[in-house]
Amino acid sequence: MIVRRFAKVNERVLYGVLGFVGLGLVWEITASLGLYRRSLLSTPTAIWRAGVTDFGNGTIFPHIAVSLQEFAIGFVVSLIVAIPLGLAIGWFRRVDYATSALLAGLNATPNVALIPLIVLIAGIGLESKVIVVFLSAFFAVMVTTTAGVQSTARRHLEITRSFGGSQWLAFRTVALPSTLPFILSGIRIGAGRALVGVVSAEFLSANIGLGFYLGLYGQLLDTARLMVGIVLFGIFGVVIGELLRVVERRFEVWRPDIRA
Amino acid sequence: MTDHLALSARGVQMEYRDRGTGKRLLAIEKVDLDVADGAFVSLLGPSGCGKSTFLKIVNGLILATAGEIKLHRVAKGREDAMVFQDASLFPWYSVLDNVAYGLVCAGVPRKEARLRAAPYIDLVGLQGFADKYPYQLSGGMQQRANLARALAVDSAILLMDEPFAALDAQTREVMQSELLRIWNAARKTVLFVTHQIDEAVYLSDRVVVMAARPGRVVADIKIDLPRPRALEVKRTPEFAAYEEQIWRLIQHDRVPSPLEQAP
Amino acid sequence: MTQRVTAAPASAFRTILPRVRRQRHPIVGWYRRNERVALSALGLVVFFAAWQIGADLGVIDPYFFSSPAAVLAAGFREVQLPRFWNDARISATELGVGSLAAVLLAVPLGIAIGWYRRISLTFDPWLNFFNALPRVALVPLVVLWAGLGVEMKTVIVFLGGFFSIILPTVEGVRTVERSLLDVSRSFRARERLIFTSLVIPGTLPFIASGMRVAVGRVLAGVIIAEFYAQTSGLGVMVKRSSETEQPDRMLFGVLIFTLLGLVLSEGVGSVERYLQRWRPSIDLEEAA
Repeated sequence: MIVRRFAKVNERVLYGVLGFVGLGLVWEITASLGLYRRSLLSTPTAIWRAGVTDFGNGTIFPHIAVSLQEFAIGFVVSLIVAIPLGLAIGWFRRVDYATSALLAGLNATPNVALIPLIVLIAGIGLESKVIVVFLSAFFAVMVTTTAGVQSTARRHLEITRSFGGSQWLAFRTVALPSTLPFILSGIRIGAGRALVGVVSAEFLSANIGLGFYLGLYGQLLDTARLMVGIVLFGIFGVVIGELLRVVERRFEVWRPDIRA
Repeated sequence: MTDHLALSARGVQMEYRDRGTGKRLLAIEKVDLDVADGAFVSLLGPSGCGKSTFLKIVNGLILATAGEIKLHRVAKGREDAMVFQDASLFPWYSVLDNVAYGLVCAGVPRKEARLRAAPYIDLVGLQGFADKYPYQLSGGMQQRANLARALAVDSAILLMDEPFAALDAQTREVMQSELLRIWNAARKTVLFVTHQIDEAVYLSDRVVVMAARPGRVVADIKIDLPRPRALEVKRTPEFAAYEEQIWRLIQHDRVPSPLEQAP
Repeated sequence: MTQRVTAAPASAFRTILPRVRRQRHPIVGWYRRNERVALSALGLVVFFAAWQIGADLGVIDPYFFSSPAAVLAAGFREVQLPRFWNDARISATELGVGSLAAVLLAVPLGIAIGWYRRISLTFDPWLNFFNALPRVALVPLVVLWAGLGVEMKTVIVFLGGFFSIILPTVEGVRTVERSLLDVSRSFRARERLIFTSLVIPGTLPFIASGMRVAVGRVLAGVIIAEFYAQTSGLGVMVKRSSETEQPDRMLFGVLIFTLLGLVLSEGVGSVERYLQRWRPSIDLEEAA
């Protein structure tokens, strides 16, 4: 009885882990059996060994450090720009209209396409990557912030007006708290995009960083190390995502659509 | 003893024009209404009769297309405060901050607003819940907080827009009785909108019956039941007589207004 | 009314007055009705004018940023070259084949996976992992398997579209199952009937939403793959232009992708809106 309940609650985790382990086993076995060229996909054991080596002799740390640095700077700057802009666009209808065409165009442009231009302008170092990270995160954060402001319950804004409060008060005391869960969600999504951005930019033109690491070992056909890079990236993505989700859940009760 | 008028409305009209088709819709055709100081007046009618619209015009949320309303001005602050139907507490504020919000809107600094709001939390029966959040409160309790917020502003007139409509029948009766208790203590003028006949008769000194399409007043009935009124009065024959009278009025009022019958 | 009432002095009252209806100039009326179009057009005009003027005055360096006029001129030159149309054809092929394959594979697979709860739970982490993975990381692997030609690029395009579509499809099937199937099972409807009348229509809005996201992904896929492979295609044109320091030509290439992205996502968007008329579902992830 207890076992059954335990299994039910953790079913998601159970099957997830099962899938993970299962795939790993299948992978290892088919590779050892020589069903396909080992260099095509490497094997879990080889990847593990490569990872231990590179962490052991510390060669991978500078790459991780630079990537994290580029990510952090670009991401924080994008938040500083995107959140106020998203608030303004959500709150002032005219600003929304005026910027709608431009932002639609910017959104439709694949960020990768702009990377050569950015490298042309800002060179191959930290600055260009920061710009790419900024662009990658900017749109997601801004759009969710705007959506959040625009979804503020009309009734709540009506209350401020009913009691004679100013529009500025309504913005501060109603729209902002109401939008916060959306902003947090946007930050989480933007962080994911920013990670992709930093790796893509480094891959295409850099001489240090996780993306560069991927590109280098890709060229050298060192599949094991390539996979180490991919796994690391996956881990970062999951960790950051889960951390942000925790923060997001803390503010869930503030959403106007959540009732008692 | 002379009474003052708390509210005096003349010729209030609300006309909507559909932007697409250009058709005009009269939500309120013409309303004349006088409400004495300290009176409890209900606006009763089916949906679409304009009762909520009228209330919002008094509150200032909507601008009428014609007519005037005079509100008796008090020394300072707003003359009126609205109690909404539902979903009107901010989920991100505690009960205390919610109740203090009306004062904050009027420009009172937050600290002082909290101090002034606190006694009203007790008045409506929410002692001890000041630090709780709305999601921790039941529907009835949320409406009490709603009421406290409007009371805290200390306006002369209380506007109530079907405040108990979203509550279940038992809670609603309790709230009706509570409202009368609070009204006795606070001595405000109340304009109460509802579509429930028994609620209107139980609570009010006067029931103003309205009809829809177009919105207009069809009757103004004085309720002569003695006060204070316990819930038991709902079972008395006098009460039933009033209910019957009003019900007949609403049923019979399928006749369009004289103004509409013009060729 | 039989109360005795004494009117208080007039100054003791606040009067609420009705709204004054003013006659408006017809242009103002037109503006009010079309405010969104008018302002967004104005925004565009201001942007391009500022760009052009900035370049002309040297405030921004035309060497890096080019100018609208130069981009248009470069574009005009480009479309007269047969090389351009060859590149366009190749990119279009990668895009078309990759996207089509993605849809044809992701939708049935997604429905199948979503239908069986245990299977969806097993695959969910992997699908999410691959969806979040930057395809640049996979490009060297794909090159190992498929070489440097059109096939590799099509695979990259395919991967972007596939994972963008399969995730919401799975979610759609699971959502339908949770909310509707109890009802139909209580009436003992046949499984096939459940499928065709409930699952597929209920999942369509999710699929459409996934396709809208996929538009951006597949276009990015074309560019990523062509940047790496550098044989031919519009993305290659963009890269070569940046290497030969021709920002106007490069921006023209980017513009093509932008316009393509706008057209495609608007097309899918209108299909999605049509489908969502009776099935509202708001997903913040896809909105971003």
